[in-house]
Parts: sequence; structure tokens; C-alpha cells
Amino acid sequence: MAERSGHRGYIGARPLNGSRTPQHVQNIVIRDYARRKNLQYLLSAVEHIMPGSYMILEDLLDELPRLNGLICYSIFMLPPDERRRREIYDRVLREGCDLHAAVEEIAIASKDDIGAVEDILLVNKYATIL
Amino acid sequence: MTDTAFLQPDEQGLADRFMSEGFVTRAADDRAGLDRIQRRAAELAADYLRLPHANDPYDLLETIHSRVTPDKLNGLRMHVIGGLNAEPWLRPTYFRLARSTIEAIVGNELCMQRRVNLSIQLPADDSSLLATHSDVWSGDSPFEVVVWVPLVDVFRTKSMFLLPPQLNGEMQDRMASLRSAEELYKTIKPHLVWIDIPYGHVMVFNQTLMHGNRVNEEKGTRWSMNCRFKSIMSPYADKRFGEFFEPISLRPATRIGMRYKLPGGFNG
Repeated sequence: MAERSGHRGYIGARPLNGSRTPQHVQNIVIRDYARRKNLQYLLSAVEHIMPGSYMILEDLLDELPRLNGLICYSIFMLPPDERRRREIYDRVLREGCDLHAAVEEIAIASKDDIGAVEDILLVNKYATIL
Repeated sequence: MTDTAFLQPDEQGLADRFMSEGFVTRAADDRAGLDRIQRRAAELAADYLRLPHANDPYDLLETIHSRVTPDKLNGLRMHVIGGLNAEPWLRPTYFRLARSTIEAIVGNELCMQRRVNLSIQLPADDSSLLATHSDVWSGDSPFEVVVWVPLVDVFRTKSMFLLPPQLNGEMQDRMASLRSAEELYKTIKPHLVWIDIPYGHVMVFNQTLMHGNRVNEEKGTRWSMNCRFKSIMSPYADKRFGEFFEPISLRPATRIGMRYKLPGGFNG
């Protein structure tokens, strides 16, 4: 098996929860998170701006055998469909990797961590922001 | 030339080539400026690797794979591009490399990306590849062009690929049925054009077309720089004015127009 190295950043061009963050700022947030968590940061990939496209995320999942994990800018970058998200979590864990979200400072390193992430996503779906 | 044409024949020829092929390559307008950039890149690389400054910057850059491993490459790249961008002459010089082509393709009232980028691809290294993409898909405006400048000769897999304009729309229409950018590459692979560019030349290309690179299977290391230009008043996408682009040639008529106010106070 090839030697694994580092955590690949994952940033986006689509607004998240109605807000836009410049891509270089997303990278700063990820780089700072990686430094504080003592993770080796690898240059981020940028998800497509087209709504509903996760082609770049799929490429990163294919790259997992060569990585220690992924660092998303935000957990809200994951697909809105829960079934698809759970497939992603399973694949990350099956490959022996972990999945981090820099803004929320949360990580999935085992199946026990999935519930907390899904709670955030579920509440966000229903709760109103003034 | 007929007296009914607005553009000079060479300008029109350049525009026609750009539209039909998606790119143009030409000798750098400012060869001394290109050599200065190459020399400074080699000095910064030597500093990072604690080597003496080379008499032959081309050779140092092209053989850098004998002195750096893939796991140390990003540190080297960051050091070199950070040092280059810190030079106040870099961006004006970079613009001058392709000024005549940019002005023919884009216009003469321009904004330029605030930071010039650098790619280094060691032979056989799969750690710094750029998946098949169009810059527009990651937030660039379709009104931008990329000025791509190799610091060594580039050819075949040591260069980059581009999907010709005639096929780009058809392939975009098929994208949503594909799973990943790698699948997209496999779909477009038979149609791709690999662009050979000798050192001393620059390329301006249409970044709305699919492009990218693969593992460099040639003997030398690729060093290339890229930077985006667009007409100041054309529409912006996610890469915004101010944070990503800054004006480099705002003309007096536009300055006057932006400040002009019609006389007011009429009551009739």
C-alpha cells in the first residue's frame, strides 16, 4: 500500500447558508485548523460552483488511500442528502481516514462521531436564523 | 488591409486563432523581463535548498527533481512564489510579457489577479496534479483569460492540456452524468491538445475550456506561472474585484465617467 501523507483541504465556490467566504480566507481557516490540530495540510481542492455538483469531493474520496484524511472548510459543504453523506462517512472511515470541518471544529474519526455532525446539519435544516 | 476594417490584420488573426483554438502562444514581449523572473525564481529555489546561486537558472530549475523530494516540494513552491510576489516589479513585468496579446484578446482597460501562481511538477510525481477543470467552475468569471508562462521548455506531459472549443460545449453537456473529475478526464482524453511551448514564449488561453495536467512523464521538471486578467468593467463571479483582482490600467475616460454627476436641482 502506498504511504499515506497529510490531510487534503476542501473548499468551495458556492455560498454556504447564504454567506460567501472568499476562497483564500477558507484556506486560511483550514491551514490554521491544521496547524492547531497538528495535521499536515495539503493544498485544497475547490468544489464546483454549479449547484449539486460534488465531482471534486468524489475525486478526494478516490484519493483517500493516499491520505490521512480530509479537512472541509465547513461541514455544510457536504451533500444535503443524508444517505449520501452517510456513504461518505463510511467511505472515509473504511479507508482508515478522518474527516474534519474547520469552521465548526468538529471531526469524524469513528462511527461514534457521526451523530454530533448529523445533529448540527439537522438543526440547521429546521432552525431559523434571524 | 481594407480601409473598412477596425482592427489591424495581426490583431484580427490573433483573435481568430484564440476563438478557434482556445489559446495563442507567442514570443514574450519583454524577453529580458522573463529572464529576470526566471533568474529570481532560481535564486529563491537555491536559497530554500541552501545551494549557491546558479550561473544557469534554466538548468537549476529543470533539474530541481534531483535536489528535492515530492514531500518537500510544496515548501519549496511556497518559498519561491512568496518571494516572487514580494518583488514590486513582478506583476508589472509579468503583464509586459504578454501585453500585446492581452490587449488584443481582452482589451486595454484591465484588472489583474493580485497574486501570480506557480506550479512545479517533478517527473513522475502525482502529488501536485490539477484535475480536469474550467476555472469558471471554481468561481472565476467567464470574461477572464489566463496568461500561462513556462520557465523551462514544456511539451507533452510536461505541459498542460486543453479541450478545443469545438468540443467543450458537448462535453459540458455530459458532465452531470459523470461521477468525478477523473471520469471527466477519461471521457475527454481522446480529444485533448497538449500544448508545446519553448522557454521564451507565453500562452494566453481561454480558461472556460476544460484543461489540466497529468503526471509529468518527461525527464525535466516543469515550472510554470499563471495569472488571470480581465476587462475591468466586465462581470465578476466569485473571484471578486479588490480581494482577487486589482485594476492595472484604469483609463481617464472611465475615471471621469465614474465620478460624473448630471446637473440637478430642476423643478420643472
